[in-house]
Amino acid sequence: MVATLLTIMVVLLLLNFPMMIPLMVAPIIVVFLYFPTMDPMILMKQFSTGIEAYVLLAVPLFIFAADIMTAGKTSRRLLDFIGSFIGHIRGGYAVTTAASCTLFGAISGSTQATVVAIGKPMRERLLKIGYKDSTAMALIINSSDVALLVPPSIGMIMYGLVSGTSVGDLFIAGIIPGIIVFLSFAIFSIIYAKVTNIPLATKATWSERLDFTKKAILPLGFPIIIIGGIYIGLFSPTEAAGISVLYAFVLEVIIYRSIHIKELPEIAKSTGLVTSAVFVLVAGGQAFTWVISFARIPQMITETVLGSDPTAIYVLIMVTIFFFVGCMFVDPIVVILVLTPIFYPAAMDAGVDPIHLGVVITFQAALGSATPPFGVDIFTASAVFNKPYLEVIKGTPPYIVMMVIISVLIIYFEELSLMLL
Amino acid sequence: MKFFRVLDKVVLKIEEFILGYSVIIIALMVVGNALSRAIFSYSLFFANEVSQIAVIVATFMGISYAARKGRHISMSAFYDLAPFKVRKIVSTIIPFLVAVVLFMLAYYSALYVQNVRESGTVTSALEMPAYIVYIAIPLGFFMGGIQFLRNMWINIVKREDVYLGTDAKDYNDEDKTKIDEATHL
Amino acid sequence: ACGQNEESSGGDDGESGSGSESYDWKFVTEEVEGQVQYEYAVEFADRMDEKSDGQVNIEVYEFGGLGSETDQVEQLESGTVEMAVMSPGFTGNMVNEGQIFALHFLFPDSVAKTQEILNTSEALNTDLKEQYEEHNITPLSYWTEGAMQWTSSSEISEPAHFENFKMRTQDSPLILESYKAYGADPTPMSWSELYTSLDRGTVEGQENPIFFIGDASFHEVQDYMTISNHNNYVAMTTVNTGWYNDLPEDMQAMLDETTEEMQQWAFDEQNAQNEEWLETIKNDEENATTIIELDEEQRNAFREKAEPIRDYYREEISTVDGAILDKLIGEIEAVE
Ligand code: NA
Ligand code: NA
Repeated sequence: MVATLLTIMVVLLLLNFPMMIPLMVAPIIVVFLYFPTMDPMILMKQFSTGIEAYVLLAVPLFIFAADIMTAGKTSRRLLDFIGSFIGHIRGGYAVTTAASCTLFGAISGSTQATVVAIGKPMRERLLKIGYKDSTAMALIINSSDVALLVPPSIGMIMYGLVSGTSVGDLFIAGIIPGIIVFLSFAIFSIIYAKVTNIPLATKATWSERLDFTKKAILPLGFPIIIIGGIYIGLFSPTEAAGISVLYAFVLEVIIYRSIHIKELPEIAKSTGLVTSAVFVLVAGGQAFTWVISFARIPQMITETVLGSDPTAIYVLIMVTIFFFVGCMFVDPIVVILVLTPIFYPAAMDAGVDPIHLGVVITFQAALGSATPPFGVDIFTASAVFNKPYLEVIKGTPPYIVMMVIISVLIIYFEELSLMLL
Repeated sequence: MKFFRVLDKVVLKIEEFILGYSVIIIALMVVGNALSRAIFSYSLFFANEVSQIAVIVATFMGISYAARKGRHISMSAFYDLAPFKVRKIVSTIIPFLVAVVLFMLAYYSALYVQNVRESGTVTSALEMPAYIVYIAIPLGFFMGGIQFLRNMWINIVKREDVYLGTDAKDYNDEDKTKIDEATHL
Repeated sequence: ACGQNEESSGGDDGESGSGSESYDWKFVTEEVEGQVQYEYAVEFADRMDEKSDGQVNIEVYEFGGLGSETDQVEQLESGTVEMAVMSPGFTGNMVNEGQIFALHFLFPDSVAKTQEILNTSEALNTDLKEQYEEHNITPLSYWTEGAMQWTSSSEISEPAHFENFKMRTQDSPLILESYKAYGADPTPMSWSELYTSLDRGTVEGQENPIFFIGDASFHEVQDYMTISNHNNYVAMTTVNTGWYNDLPEDMQAMLDETTEEMQQWAFDEQNAQNEEWLETIKNDEENATTIIELDEEQRNAFREKAEPIRDYYREEISTVDGAILDKLIGEIEAVE
């Protein structure tokens, strides 16, 4: 049965079927082949169960908020602000890129949106001051990973959904790993700039800084509201997502007037499109989870992969490998939906903290989606920057090395994830 | 032909309306409930349910719209590396198979809706018949199936380009700067 | 790759009884390992295995993979699984009468007396059972997982303490109505967010049996636990009606006998777990929790607010104008 499932998934994926098809078809075929007396209606019900969870409402709302702020000029405001303070130091533009991706990541839940919003304007500036294009693109792709680690994070919402873990806690737990990634990229950027002699940018004047600060101060309230609001218990992740829509609306429509209210349905439509494309996967993923649970496949697989009485660290390492490889090939959302129900029970038996596991998994999702050959962010960048694939991946190795090292730290020191809780 | 073009336009407008306003409704419900709770200490009893209905409707009614725009998430890595001819063949055959699957799913989920209808289940807050909400599932699959057939058809009719959807030419052949909007997630 | 799933006796094969046949049944629960329902099902499976000399193999499923509680109800209904422990609360929009157990201060203060009523009540074991059988679900028994208690961030010992109190509840109109009657602001919230929300004060209190409170560590993030016994968390042992009726007689008898034996086992198990967790919570000095036991007078103050909800149940929920409730009230009075 495992072989049947695997074959269906892999073959359909490689043939470029929309991913919802294998997720929805594989369970039905398994039912027909192995449980012929069962009523396939059960799986139909799972489609709606999958997307009925309250916490999932956060997904369209966070995307909507980020869409509103991208349609306005928020991302530019953020990077002007950061650039005016640190742009002039050695490697300043690169550090600005990493910092802006981190900050925008605290508004947006997806790495690809961050590549688009920050990557486009920052790449121009990096090229102008003398960075090689491959260096600039690698920096952008990898810094955008942080969006998946710092709240809000669609990957964490998906993990929370499948595992029944608190999304609020996951959000808080991702902050420190996100900051570590940012800091290591920043330090690397400074060293790189020294070694390759990247020229210094002119220093912004204090009046410019004041001006950029004024322009950025309101968008900066955004992460404070999301993270602060969840942290002090003002609202649940879903409510935080709703409030961030309200905040984006007030900012862009009422205060800055960069968007007319009549444009909102158009923005909402594109949010709705993305939501639908993601949620059909969640719907199919739930049917998939149902059938593998019913057939006790997680128990079979984990017995084979993990042995009978694995240690927590061993489980985490195997989880890391499976998720990393999975995310190199397939969209992280699908990987989380499919692999989490398989590994979660074994990890709990081995005594892994569910929040820690969520951070490890999300980290691999971020890393995998920026890793050649098939990380989705690479293709996004290739498309957005109109650059050939090889050019895009040329600069990524140092970042992957850093990410792997950080990954080891996060696995071994669960406090890095749990200390803020 | 003209009739079909008008019908296509109407369906498109309806789908866009559903997608956009579902998101807006979800935002209004969640924000409204949060504010009502914070200010009046009163939870809107219908807020969660209305949002969930909007999610179900948007998800399934969005299948055909996403297909039209070529925006369903797929593992396109190998596809992207393939030459024009291979992509053309894949883009003609796969949509047909997808359509077959979606029609099958439409059939089964319609049976499911019928079951729910017969069971008389009502939603917990609004106490409306639950099957009404679920009609979006077979309908969405069915409309999606039709759209994937159209995606196949346009690849048969128009020989000079590869189409990911009736409204989306393959980005592999395009000037790539145009598609940053299409790589949203 | 999957040898253990030969559906030799699926739901609708209609196999006839014979000594050598083997049976594979699926038994779903709404709880996870260690909790009362799951342990009940495991014990049930062991006893059946033993009695049948290994002829009956019951696979127990913990909560999670098979969807929501209401999904599991549908799976029993359709015969995808043969047996289930379920709470009537999750069948509320299918069998309205099942919401009867959500009424506050209906059953006696004593959990033992409550169990006695659950065992003997004709209203439940005949009338309510028939309602479920219309949906192809047969409740074989009702049993308590313990009395429900309140935990809170501020003291709750009289109804006035509930004024504007953010109480997490399940999402059911009757339960919402019950807490509004005390003046509270009932807030439906998903289970996975509850611990964090209590910790951060997004909601201020919740209700559950003590073992559940302890198992979920809610006492770590709450300052008070009120021993209110305002109702009982009732579970039903249920089977798919068609499947059950088609079982050979000896199998049916074995199932009935085991269900019967398990009533005492379930009572002892919940009692042990609830007492053990009460001690643990009391002795947890790191997360001190003030335990308030309501006296009769205090209980009456809540009861007074709760009783009008019975009319809400009769008028808005019941499909038989509260007939089952009225019969049950008679039976309860006879015991008390
Ligand atoms: Na983020
Ligand atoms: Na406490």
